[in-house]
Amino acid sequence: MEFLDYVQAVADGLLFGATYALIGIGFTLIFGVMHKINLAYAASSIAGAYLSLAFAAYVPAPAIVVFLMAAVASGVVGYLIYLFNFRFIPLANPLATLMATVGSLILLDEIIVHETDGMPLTYPALFDDVYIEIGTLGLRGDLMFVFALSLVATVLLLFLLYRTRLGIATRAVAQQPVAAQLCGMSIQRTNGTTFVIAGVLGGLAGAMIGASVGVLSPLLTLPVTVKGLIVTVIGGLGSIPGAIIAGLLVGAFENVFQAMRGVTERDMYVMLLLFVFLVFRPGGIFSRSVARD
Amino acid sequence: MDFYFGLLQIIGFHTILGLSAYVVLLTGQVTMAQAGFFAIGAYVAGMLTVLAGWHIVPAVIAGGFMGGIVAGIVGFPALRVKGLMLVVATIAFGEFVRLFFFNFDYQIAKGKIMVGPLGGEGFRQIRFFPENGWTTSDVALFVWTIVLIIMAALWWVDRSRAGAVLRAVGEDELAAQSVGVNLTAVKVTAFAAGGFIAGVGGSIYAHYTTHIEHLNFGVILATFAIAYPILGGLSNVFGTLAAVLFIQGFLVEGLRFLGDWRNLLFGALIILVMNVRPRGLMDERTMQILRRLFGGGRESTGA
Repeated sequence: MEFLDYVQAVADGLLFGATYALIGIGFTLIFGVMHKINLAYAASSIAGAYLSLAFAAYVPAPAIVVFLMAAVASGVVGYLIYLFNFRFIPLANPLATLMATVGSLILLDEIIVHETDGMPLTYPALFDDVYIEIGTLGLRGDLMFVFALSLVATVLLLFLLYRTRLGIATRAVAQQPVAAQLCGMSIQRTNGTTFVIAGVLGGLAGAMIGASVGVLSPLLTLPVTVKGLIVTVIGGLGSIPGAIIAGLLVGAFENVFQAMRGVTERDMYVMLLLFVFLVFRPGGIFSRSVARD
Repeated sequence: MDFYFGLLQIIGFHTILGLSAYVVLLTGQVTMAQAGFFAIGAYVAGMLTVLAGWHIVPAVIAGGFMGGIVAGIVGFPALRVKGLMLVVATIAFGEFVRLFFFNFDYQIAKGKIMVGPLGGEGFRQIRFFPENGWTTSDVALFVWTIVLIIMAALWWVDRSRAGAVLRAVGEDELAAQSVGVNLTAVKVTAFAAGGFIAGVGGSIYAHYTTHIEHLNFGVILATFAIAYPILGGLSNVFGTLAAVLFIQGFLVEGLRFLGDWRNLLFGALIILVMNVRPRGLMDERTMQILRRLFGGGRESTGA
């Protein structure tokens, strides 16, 4: 491989990594507020994308509307997951919550398989006929659009978290649940809202994955879950900027190794990258110092 | 009749898989790596009986030790992180093992056919049982002997000082540390023991199916491994057995007439059980009631 091929692989990977970043932000957001992990999150994102396809089957809509529908649908699924997996299980039983989200993951997966007979469905894309060439380097238009949309979503999320009353409430509940309750915030409502926000982001990510891969398939849920979790850990649990950088990093990293070693070995190197981070920077990219116990 | 012996074997190695996660869960660590150790045991024992011509018993023990050794080595870096980070780290490890076997080729000619693991096509012809004339009832007996040995050992550990140490770490790490428990040693030991048990389970599984491939050892198997003890409850080893009987016996076999609705029901039932009984099917209260009914209620639960 020549140097230029590497640059091309990194560029493609960075663009696709934006979807990983969105999924990672969703995981990290829920972890930041609830201090629990929602393993069904990536499945609900993919489910949102499927629901938007079902919507498009009844009402002919342009691709951008389908994407927005995916976000809305995934927000609803996110709230349902909160209701059935988090709302009524006592806080002192983290194992039960974890297991329940696994149940939801399996349930969502099986519903998708049941409804589509396990066949992949084509997903609409925008700007897939655009191909920008910079010298000998080429950039795919659909991936550029995915990247841009992910950036916009991230900026909107940061605005929501740091510039609105809802964001203040969310961060307050994350830092001091009891104190937040004393100030008159409803923990349950804030947590539910967080799940909806994370779900909306996830729905966009699911739509973006569908758009850039070209198809939606139930086989996507587990790999996306694993990649999203890896991004969350590399970025540092609860850190949104970390998740963004880690998503782009993982996207570029896996694409380079795919170009070098082939698609069957690609993910092994991503796991090794995670282990390197766990050993040398267990707190994530932006951790101040290496905290050990 | 063979069908029921086959079912007994399935319940047997799923119980072993669940118990391997049970040991680690006692120390409060959620491990998603058990499918990886299961795979290591399966491939190692399969290669030993097929390629090296070993007897099944030493092969199973070797598969277990390989799982345990790898668990010990992985345990040191992995157990530096805890809680959710550990979940992710162990998922990644399990996937790494799966992908390793996806890319692993080692074939030799035996008679007219090539045997041994072959990447994505998997590892065929692990035919120790049929070649040596074991009937399904013999195999079921063999599997359950091992299951009972492991259950008895864990039952005994649970009631000894070592079990108290494991549970102390699981309940409150800080308190355990302040009374002089070496956290790293306890966690890595439990992890290695879990790896050993999972390796043994995998060795049996490989000889049960006669054909293993990387897809058998994915994230779903790892979630099954922790689902058994969590659904069954961590108060003692019988919770795991009860959960395996419930899932493999009732949900998978008993509801076969429901077709693919069964899979939908599976996820929904997990959610339901966790909402209604967050400490598992056989939690401490249930155990006390059972004890009063059958055992005269002379001992405390120890949990």
